[in-house]
Amino acid sequence: MNKKLKKLILVLCMAGIITGSLAGCGSSKSGGSGSSLIFLIWDPGQKAGMEKMAQAYMEEHPEVEIEVQATGWDEYWAKLEGAAASNTMPDIFWMHSNQMFKYADNGYLADCSGIINESDYSSISAENAKGSDGKLYGVPKDKDMIALLYNKELFDAAGVSYPDDTWTWEDMEAASVQINEKTGKYGYMAFSHDQIGYWNFVYQNGGQILNEDGTKAEYTEKATADAISYYINIQNNAWCPTQAQFANTGAAELFFSGEGAMYYAGNWDFVNLCKTYPDMNGKWDVAVLPKCPNPVSGDGRAVISNSVSYATAEKGKNKEQAMDFLAFLGSEEGQKIQGESGVAIPAYNGLEETWVHTFEENGYQIHVEKLIPAFDYSVKYVNNPSRASWEPKVEQIMLDIYAGNVTVEEGIQKMQTQVTEAIEEY
Amino acid sequence: MKKKGKLDQDHIWGYLLVSPTIIGLLVLNVYPFLQTIYLSFTNAKVFGAHKFVGMDNYVKMINSEEFLRATWNTILFCILTVPVGVLLALVVAVLLNAKIRGKVVFRAIFFLPMVVAPAAVAMVWKWMFNSEYGIVNTILHTNIDWITNPNVVIITVAIVAVWSALGYDAVLLLSGIQNISRSYYEAAGLDGCSKLQQFWYITLPMVSPTLFVVLIMRLMASLKVYDLLYMMVGEGNPALGKAQSLIYLFYRESFISGNRGYASAIVIWTVLLIGVVTLLQFLGQKKWVNYEV
Repeated sequence: MNKKLKKLILVLCMAGIITGSLAGCGSSKSGGSGSSLIFLIWDPGQKAGMEKMAQAYMEEHPEVEIEVQATGWDEYWAKLEGAAASNTMPDIFWMHSNQMFKYADNGYLADCSGIINESDYSSISAENAKGSDGKLYGVPKDKDMIALLYNKELFDAAGVSYPDDTWTWEDMEAASVQINEKTGKYGYMAFSHDQIGYWNFVYQNGGQILNEDGTKAEYTEKATADAISYYINIQNNAWCPTQAQFANTGAAELFFSGEGAMYYAGNWDFVNLCKTYPDMNGKWDVAVLPKCPNPVSGDGRAVISNSVSYATAEKGKNKEQAMDFLAFLGSEEGQKIQGESGVAIPAYNGLEETWVHTFEENGYQIHVEKLIPAFDYSVKYVNNPSRASWEPKVEQIMLDIYAGNVTVEEGIQKMQTQVTEAIEEY
Repeated sequence: MKKKGKLDQDHIWGYLLVSPTIIGLLVLNVYPFLQTIYLSFTNAKVFGAHKFVGMDNYVKMINSEEFLRATWNTILFCILTVPVGVLLALVVAVLLNAKIRGKVVFRAIFFLPMVVAPAAVAMVWKWMFNSEYGIVNTILHTNIDWITNPNVVIITVAIVAVWSALGYDAVLLLSGIQNISRSYYEAAGLDGCSKLQQFWYITLPMVSPTLFVVLIMRLMASLKVYDLLYMMVGEGNPALGKAQSLIYLFYRESFISGNRGYASAIVIWTVLLIGVVTLLQFLGQKKWVNYEV
C-alpha cells in the first residue's frame, strides 16, 4: 500500500510537471481590468521605434500594456500563418503587401475603414492596405522607394559628375564606362531583382508587369519586354558583375568595400547601412533613379514604391483595444514618432520631413531629401492575389536567363505564360 | 491466477510511466505524419482549405524535371558524402586512438565543428569558396566558380558537409574502438600481426556495429540535406535550380509558393526514399556487421 502510494505520488508529480510546463507555453497574462497586448513585427531594427509609439500610447492609456516582439522575416510568416489557422494571432502585427491579399481575402484581418481616414495617407500606402474587395484591412504604416546609391570617391577619381535628377540610363552607362576605365572598379551593378531592379526600368519605359486591375500579365508587351531585356543585358558589360559574381558577393558588399560605384537600394536599408559602415560616412550619397531616355510612353520617370500596414485579427480576443491602438498608430502623432525613428517614411501625408531629419541629426551625410520629390511619380508595387504562386517562378526564369539556359525572348515568353497560368488557376 | 494479476498491474504502471512520451510522439510526430500523407492527396494551399485530388500531386511530381533533378541531386550528395565521410571518420578515430601527444586537444579540435551553429559554418565556408576573393581559389591558384557553377556546387557543399560531420562520427567510432578488449591486440601482436592486419582483422570487425549506426545516421542526414544548401547556395544564385535537394524543393514549394499539397507529396517521397535505403542497409548488415564480442 505504502509503495503504491509512493508510486502514485511520483506519477502525479511528473504529470504535474509536464502539464505545468505545457500550460506555461500558451497562457498569457490577463491582469484584472486592463489588457496586455502583443505587438509582433519582423524587423528588429524597428523595434525601438515601435516601442516608443507603444510608450506614447500607454502614457495616455495606463490600463493597457503593450509588448513589442520582433522576429526574423521567415519565422514571422511561419508564425503568423500558424497563429491565423488556430485563431491565436498577436493583437497587433505588421502586414506586408506580399501577404495582404492572402490574409485579407481569407477573412483573418479586421476591417479598419472605420478608424482612419483614407485620404490622410499617400495613395500607394492606402492601396497596399486594401484587400481584393477594396476595403482597408490595415492601417498604412509607411511608404518606401528605391534610390540610386553612388560612391563619391570613385566618381571623383574618374572625373565624372555626380548623378542628379536629369540623369538618364545613357548617362548611367557612360559614367559606368568611364569609372571602369579609369579606376578598374565596377560601374552600375544590376543584380537580379524585381522591386529593386527591373520593375523600375519597365515602368520608366512605359511598360507594366500586370494590367491596371492585376488580371492580366503584360510581360510580352513591347515596352515591358524591351526594358527587361535592357536590364538583363547590362550584365554583358565589363563594368557590371555577372549574376554568378553577385551570388558570391552581393552588390551592397561590393559597393561598401569600394569595388563598385553604383547600385539600387531601398530606403528602408539606409539607416542600417549608415550604422554598419561608419567608415564610409560622407563617401557615398543617394540620388533619384535615372530616367528612361526614350520611353515608349510617358516621361521616362518612375520608381516602385511599396508599404507596410499595421493590422489586427478579425477574431482577436482584444480586438476593441487593438483597434484603438491601431487608430493611434495611424494618427499624425503616431506616424511622427515612427518617422523620427529614421527607418521608415511615414505613410501619413506631409510627414516625410520627420524621416529626412533623422539622418542630419545622427550625422549621416546622405541627402535623402533629394528623394522625396520622386514620390510624385512613384508606381505601386506590383501585386495581385496570385502573386505568391507566380513570383518564385518568374524569379527562377530570370536566373535561367542569366545562367544562359534560355534566351531573353524565350524567358520573357515563359514569364508571360507562368503568370497567366497562375492568374487563371487562382 | 494471483501472479497474473500482479503482472497486469505492473503493465499498467509501465504504460502509465511511458505515457507522457507516447502521447508526445502521437501528438507531435505520428499525427502530423498521417496528416502529411493525407495532404499529399489534396490540393491544399494555405490556411488548410483543400480538396481531395487523388494522385494528381504525384503525377505532377513524376513529370516535373525540377523534381527529378532534385532527387538525383540528393542521391548524388549521398554518394559524395557518405562513403568518404564515414571512411575519413574511421581513419580519424583510429588515429585519435593511437598513443600520441595532445590526444585530447586533437579530439576537441575534430569535435569543434559539431558545436558551431551550421549557419555560421556555412557563412564562413561561403566566404572561403568565394570565386573572386576566396582563400580557396587564392591558395590553389584556380578560378573555379565553387558556389555558382551548377556542376561544382554540390561537390562544394559535400566538402563542407563531410568536414562538419567528421568529428561527431569520429567520436562515436572512437568509443566503439575503445570498447575492444586489449587482449585481442596483445594476442595478435604475439602472433606477429602487422598494425594494418590488426586493423583489418580486429578493429574493423569489432567496431562494425558502431560503424553500421554511423552509416545509417549519415545516410539519413545526407538525404535530408537542406540547411547547408540554403545558406551556401541560397536565393538569387543562378545554380539554385540545378543544385537544390529534395528538402530544399519541399521548402520552396511549401513555404515560398504555398503549395502545401504538392510539397507534402515531395516530402512523402523523401520519406519513402530514406525508408528503402535504410531497409537495404538493414538487409545488407548481415553480410558484414559482427555482433559477437
